Amino acid sequence: MFIRTVERDATLEAFRTEVREFCERELPTKTRENQELGRHIEKQDYDAWLKILGAKGWLTGKWPKEHGGLGWSPEQHVIFTEEIGRAGAPPIVPFGVTMVGPVIYTFGTDEQKAQYLEGIRKSNAWWCQGYSEPGAGSDLASLKTSAVRDGDDYVVNGQKIWTSYAHWADMMFCLVRTDSSGKKQQGISFLLIDMKTPGVTVRPIIAITKGHHLNEVFFDDVRVPAKNLVGEEGKGWTYAKFLLANERVGNVETGKFERYMDQLRVLLEVTKDGGKPLSENPSFQRKVAELEVGLETVKALMADQLAVARAEGAPSMIGASALKIRGTALQQEILQVIVDVLGRHGLVYQTDALVEGWNGEVIGPEDSAGLIYEHLYRRAATIYGGSTEVQKNIIAKGALDL
Amino acid sequence: MSAFTSEERQLLDDSLQDYIRSKYTFEHFRELTAADEVDGFGRAEWSEYAELGWLGTSLPESADGAGGGLTELCIVMAACGRGLLLEPFLSTIVMGAGAIEKVGTGEQQKILSEVAVGKRLLAFAHVEPDAGYARDYVRTVARPEGEGFVLDGEKGFTLHAQSADTLIVSARVGGDAGPVALFLVPANAEGVHFRPGPAFDGRRGAEISLSGVKVGGDAKLGASDADQTEVISGLIDRGVIAASAEAVGAMTTVAEMTLEYLKSREQFGQPLAKFQVLQHRIVEMNLACEEARVLVHAALEAVDTGSPVAQRMVWNAKVQTAKSARLVGGQAIQLHGGMGMTDELAIGHYYKRLTMCETMYGDGDWYLSQITAKG
Repeated sequence: MFIRTVERDATLEAFRTEVREFCERELPTKTRENQELGRHIEKQDYDAWLKILGAKGWLTGKWPKEHGGLGWSPEQHVIFTEEIGRAGAPPIVPFGVTMVGPVIYTFGTDEQKAQYLEGIRKSNAWWCQGYSEPGAGSDLASLKTSAVRDGDDYVVNGQKIWTSYAHWADMMFCLVRTDSSGKKQQGISFLLIDMKTPGVTVRPIIAITKGHHLNEVFFDDVRVPAKNLVGEEGKGWTYAKFLLANERVGNVETGKFERYMDQLRVLLEVTKDGGKPLSENPSFQRKVAELEVGLETVKALMADQLAVARAEGAPSMIGASALKIRGTALQQEILQVIVDVLGRHGLVYQTDALVEGWNGEVIGPEDSAGLIYEHLYRRAATIYGGSTEVQKNIIAKGALDL
Repeated sequence: MSAFTSEERQLLDDSLQDYIRSKYTFEHFRELTAADEVDGFGRAEWSEYAELGWLGTSLPESADGAGGGLTELCIVMAACGRGLLLEPFLSTIVMGAGAIEKVGTGEQQKILSEVAVGKRLLAFAHVEPDAGYARDYVRTVARPEGEGFVLDGEKGFTLHAQSADTLIVSARVGGDAGPVALFLVPANAEGVHFRPGPAFDGRRGAEISLSGVKVGGDAKLGASDADQTEVISGLIDRGVIAASAEAVGAMTTVAEMTLEYLKSREQFGQPLAKFQVLQHRIVEMNLACEEARVLVHAALEAVDTGSPVAQRMVWNAKVQTAKSARLVGGQAIQLHGGMGMTDELAIGHYYKRLTMCETMYGDGDWYLSQITAKG
């Protein structure tokens, strides 16, 4: 369809103002400062902020009311994400709220709902995602971590990799192989694993940012109660796909992009060529204009997906992939222009400056270490959550029938 | 003209590559970068390079150098890129020694003998905080006092400045409108203050404050009182081509590593190298390497033969190299997936070195603007 009719909801602007004012009032100053300078946020500070949102019910605002959510429309959720991004708040950690929560309330048992959903809503539990393995990246379905039924337990053996925040997590939702006889997509199950169970070992992976948020997780005869199986044994792939579509839309944080653009504009004012600010340089003016068009395009793709979601109940698989491809490419483009500017300050990367309380001398603009961290970290944006290449395959197969 | 025959160039290249393969492995690189100290490179390695004759490759025979041209120096620089060498070739040999050789008096040229044997490290402290990539922006002032000068000003982040024995500092003589001159400033002179920090790729450098730094009359590089802006511009062109050669070395190596990875990594039941879309991608990476290599080569020929269009050729090489570096570095990470994002794999370190080379002395866009402005 060339044009989709979008009904304007007049209450949305009031909601936007409410979120903005709430963030101004409730977001701890220290957390805001750390986030704005791109410093590492300590777990207790992250927890404190997420609990503030959780108490308000906003962490899971888009969940249906019957599962303790506020039944937000997709538009409301986007506004919420934009506003907390603009406020300089740390992003919502998606593993519980966006990923496993909806899987549990859609496919889980009543006991599982009772046990886990409130912890996610209130941010009392930190979750991580056990998907990728050393041999199963883009080809996720070839995963090998095995779960063998033994009495009332599954015994899990194997290894996961690229597990963000596993070192902070209380629980992992994990794809395991319960059957290797048929097609590889069959025989995968969705298991909830307590990270404190004996036999679980978490090992850090230091990224090119020099920071630690990624981990390897090893399972050595880990006994997981069979009641922690979500849905049916062997149907895990279906749940994983359900969740991946959510992850792709969630991966495009346009509020964060707007912040990068604000930071870029300030950098252009303070950075000079021959004493003259780059903001007066036509080449950079053009680059900024190009990025602005790119940002509007991604926002429009997002709005279009919301209209589809409203009409059809869920974003289309294709639209989610399109958004992920273009959104992450734009993110890298913005962060590249930022590095182009920082080149004039010698491209200094003081990783120490990312630690709260460091009192060394900052070289160049105050937020440069945080921005370079982002530049490096977001090289992974076109890799994580299904690489750009995989997204294109999804569109080729799913939309173009190739 | 070069003092090197084709065979000698090949021998130089072979010896560099042998050394990297056998001694300057990625593990060795990581050990050197992990050591939390001022230099961030190996002093012992630097002495070894002196013994192997690499430091003197392009230095004049009068300084016990081999008398090679820019081409020979860039063979060394390409190897720096291939092996991610951390040592200060760019600051000491390309820029520092380049400046002394170009304008130094007979007495000052003697420093080059110390450089050749690895006993003196240099840094070229020209860029200033508000200069950006402009070559003629100098606000540091050298006020004549008695027989000598007093220097005041701020210099921007300069690679390896904190490790250098001698800084080569640009300053305007007399006042804001005075002619630009270069000064040899001992790094430990009173009034020289360093603000050290790591660069994007982990190599160390520092911002420099000069406040009331007293130097003798013999500290002024060369005997001429004429403005040295053009000389400095020529030196920066030398830096541009050297950093481009380094980038060619780095991109070629990381493209080779990526090809090997595509051949060995299996997904969907076959090596990644069997997917046509990835084949075309790695072909593009190789084409980009070749484009950069041939333009750097052409520029070196132009410089070494004194071609009237040498500067334009250097700038062309810079523009293409920056473009190639960005493509190859970025795709090397992309094609390695999560592995490319880890600090323990070489790929990310090549990405970072390539980004440094891209921005050293001006990025591709800046040179395009300069080419456009010159008409």
